[in-house]
Amino acid sequence: MSLRSRTGTLWCALTRRTELDAQVDEELRFHIESYAEDLMRRGLGREEAMRRARAELGSLAAARESARQAWGTRWVDELRGDLRYALRMLAKSPGFAAIAIGSLALGIGANTAIFSIAKHALLDRLNVPHSRDLVLFEWTGNRNAVVHSIWGMFDRGLDGSYSTSFSYPAYQALRSQNRSLEDIFAFKDAGRMNITVDGNAEVVQSELVSGNYYQQLEVKPELGRAIGPEDDAKPGASPVIVISDAFWSRRFGRSSSVIGKTVTVNFIPMTIIGVNPPGFTGAKSVQTSPEIFAPLAMAPQLVTNPWRTSLLEDPKHWWVIVMARRKPHASEAAAQAELSTVLHNVIQTTLQPKPDESIPRLVLTDGSRGLNEASYQLQHPLSVLLAMTGLVLLLACANMANLLLARATARQREMSVRLALGAGRSRILRQSLTESILLSLCGGAAGTIVAVLGQQALLQLTADPESGGSVMHVPFSWGVFAFTLGLSLLTGILFGIAPALQATRTQVRSGLQDTTHTVTRRRRGYAGKTIVGFQIAISMLLVAGAGVFLRTLINLNRIDPGFDTHNLVLFAIRPPASHYSPAQTAELIQRIEERLKATPGVEAESAASIPLLADDNSFDDFTPVGVPLKSNEGRGASDNWVGDDYFATMRIPLLAGRAFNAHDTATSERVAIINLALAQEYWGKTNPIGRTFHTSDDQNQTLTYTIVGVCANTRYADLRHDPPPQFFISYRQPPDTLRDMTFNVRTRASLDAIVPLLRTAVQRVDRDLPLDNVRTQTEQIAEITTTERMFADLTGGFGVLALVLACIGIYGVMAYSVSQRTNEIGIRMALGAQPGRVLRMVLGEASWMSILGVIAGAGGALALSRLIASMLYGLKAYDPATFTASAAVLLLVALAASWIPARRAAGIDPMRALRHE
Amino acid sequence: MGNESPIDLLQGTLDMLVLKAVSLGPLHGYGVLLRIQQISQNRLEIQQGSLYPALYRLEHEGWIAGEWGQSENKRRARFYKLTAAGRRRLENEARKWNQFADVVGSILSAAPEQV
Repeated sequence: MSLRSRTGTLWCALTRRTELDAQVDEELRFHIESYAEDLMRRGLGREEAMRRARAELGSLAAARESARQAWGTRWVDELRGDLRYALRMLAKSPGFAAIAIGSLALGIGANTAIFSIAKHALLDRLNVPHSRDLVLFEWTGNRNAVVHSIWGMFDRGLDGSYSTSFSYPAYQALRSQNRSLEDIFAFKDAGRMNITVDGNAEVVQSELVSGNYYQQLEVKPELGRAIGPEDDAKPGASPVIVISDAFWSRRFGRSSSVIGKTVTVNFIPMTIIGVNPPGFTGAKSVQTSPEIFAPLAMAPQLVTNPWRTSLLEDPKHWWVIVMARRKPHASEAAAQAELSTVLHNVIQTTLQPKPDESIPRLVLTDGSRGLNEASYQLQHPLSVLLAMTGLVLLLACANMANLLLARATARQREMSVRLALGAGRSRILRQSLTESILLSLCGGAAGTIVAVLGQQALLQLTADPESGGSVMHVPFSWGVFAFTLGLSLLTGILFGIAPALQATRTQVRSGLQDTTHTVTRRRRGYAGKTIVGFQIAISMLLVAGAGVFLRTLINLNRIDPGFDTHNLVLFAIRPPASHYSPAQTAELIQRIEERLKATPGVEAESAASIPLLADDNSFDDFTPVGVPLKSNEGRGASDNWVGDDYFATMRIPLLAGRAFNAHDTATSERVAIINLALAQEYWGKTNPIGRTFHTSDDQNQTLTYTIVGVCANTRYADLRHDPPPQFFISYRQPPDTLRDMTFNVRTRASLDAIVPLLRTAVQRVDRDLPLDNVRTQTEQIAEITTTERMFADLTGGFGVLALVLACIGIYGVMAYSVSQRTNEIGIRMALGAQPGRVLRMVLGEASWMSILGVIAGAGGALALSRLIASMLYGLKAYDPATFTASAAVLLLVALAASWIPARRAAGIDPMRALRHE
Repeated sequence: MGNESPIDLLQGTLDMLVLKAVSLGPLHGYGVLLRIQQISQNRLEIQQGSLYPALYRLEHEGWIAGEWGQSENKRRARFYKLTAAGRRRLENEARKWNQFADVVGSILSAAPEQV
């Protein structure tokens, strides 16, 4: 009852304020008039009666106020007043407000954006029920592992190599003999496929899945049915696909008539049977979903098979990814032991390892994030970015603390006046708090905008052009946002209330008297200077960090890759295996080459199996004949199958021998060209021309090639690594099946001008072959240096921000210090100090503060340099030049920032300074 | 004013007096003042300024309910009447007050031989 009436009156008081005030007025007027009438009846004059009645009741405003107090709305009124006052104070010093809010917004925004991406890339799990139960199959082996042919993730670590790819027969054996896990399922990210819907072709990402994939992942399509065991029973028997929700929206406008529709995928007609639920991204990655899912049994038809044998039968080719769910209460160690034996046996029986070949060991790992490639690739760069944005946030908080402190000291007198006029201490504290919280909240609001925009920009920056530029979809992380906002609020509260506490503790008298007494100067300036020193230290870290990342990018750009990267256009052709046999593929490539060479604007042209500087590589057997081998030496080299004009087109100098020519055909003697690094590795200073080496084909048959030329070294997959030993073979004499080819076209024409001509040239050979991944070599290089460029951009931005904030901090503290010391400086000058001396004194004070900060920052940077060492190129993380330059820049900024206050100090007129009081 | 100087109100008793005054029939603010003065025969001095905050407070607590009506001289005035909760409150307060007054009275009237 009482609660209801209380909230009722409170609500009325809040919402119908003027109405209630009018009622109170009317009620009181009635009282006054009634009382006055009574008084008049006792013989008083009207005037006098009214006056007395009013006097006895007290002021109307006070009564109104007390009514509101009775209704419990006083705090609301006070808050409103505080807010109005705070806004007025902020508006009075817009520079202060802009800097505080701006730096907070950048700190909060950058942190929220990067933390959200990091959380999504590193922590989020697959969006399927009970994703924690999923285990991923992985194997590790030493350098002599019996598995040679891998399509998929493969990594060489210190303790040997590991991979998540298995052969289809191995998967089948594991599945049938498994007792300790739930039913084992398999899938494969089968790469880009050409899909034609209603006559329009496009390239999409695909995933091939086993028949029990949907059952085991417990995913139900939002429309139609899932791929089931019956679809995966017989190779090629069930041409069906399930499409992703995003593809359904984009391509079919979410029409339910999509079920049963026939489309062609890699020239094969296939029926759409279902649409995946929105959040499902497949089993491979948490970030992006492939557009189409097809049964693994369709692999022979859909996949441009680099090998001649069936993917589903050949035990030598390891390519499927295998996962399963844990059984409740089952031991994972037991499962691993059991399945490891199964794998061992299946390798023994199907691969018949040679005596010097080792059998890999099975390892079960966490599968709740799929292959977790994002974490593998992004963990390190993201943690470095996180550390740097953390520093930026710290810097923003320090900046705000500094600004609030400086303001609080400047407002000491105001506080004293208010205390003297009878304001309660808690009232003043509340007011200061309102102001700093308002500031933090404004920073938070602006930070949200920065976060949303920054996240978009970052994702665009990291988008993978290989996957058609599809941008990773990252949900905005409110948790992260709340955390960063909380941190800034905390700073606001802490540094808003601390000075206010101190101010209200001082005696009113001393506060009012205190104008320019220098006795307390040092103690007062101390907090501000500590914060500025801290800011400079953090700035030093950020500026030095920006410096090393910038120099890394410059160093990478300066690298001579060994070929001419300018005026070079690249595009890929992916001839489907179903249409082109290996022999036909070579012929197709030759015909395309002829067409391209005849195209106007094309100066030179050559096909190659591996585009350079594209993180693409091929590693094959290379066993020189007649050269004694050291036992533990790798017997392989990077290779590339190229057209006749490759060296001329790429402008790679031939050092000895000849290039390929039309006489090197499928039936002539097998010839090869090696690079200088390979020649030196095996033949030293002797001439390798005429020597032979062995390599093996996909059937493990030994093939012998004769070296006919030696070319200069070039970088291969990336810029960072020194040119690896390489050998080149004509694409007409490939040791393995010819697969996708990249055409390198040298032209002076622009990309826009030349691409239609190139497309026409290719279509004259085959109408249905799209040009894929068209880009210039320069764009290609920009792509593989995305991380470096992103780091240079971001850390450069952070560095500039740090400099600006440090500049503001130093200026603020020095300006305050000078204004506090006007009197003292005046006395010094009256006693004979020269302006130059005063100038030096102020600058000296700023320099000391900065030097200490720089030293602390450099120490911190040294300690942290280990973390970024692997991301740099061509310099050490503790690069002395960068450190010296950063320190010099910071000191210069410090001097520049304190120049104006120093000039002001030097220009003080002693007489006026002494009268200043 | 009476012959003896009026007593200042004890802290916290105004609420109780207002409730009592209103319990005898709906009254406007001025009426409350008059009625208390009349019953006390002008022996109590009530600060007019504190009357209205008390009325608003009591209304806020839900013990009295205000309503606009016509005064005896045909003017618009706000009349207050006791609510059910207010009646309980008044009984409660009155009982406590009587107990308190008894105890204080018996202590003050104690003779030396009684101790």
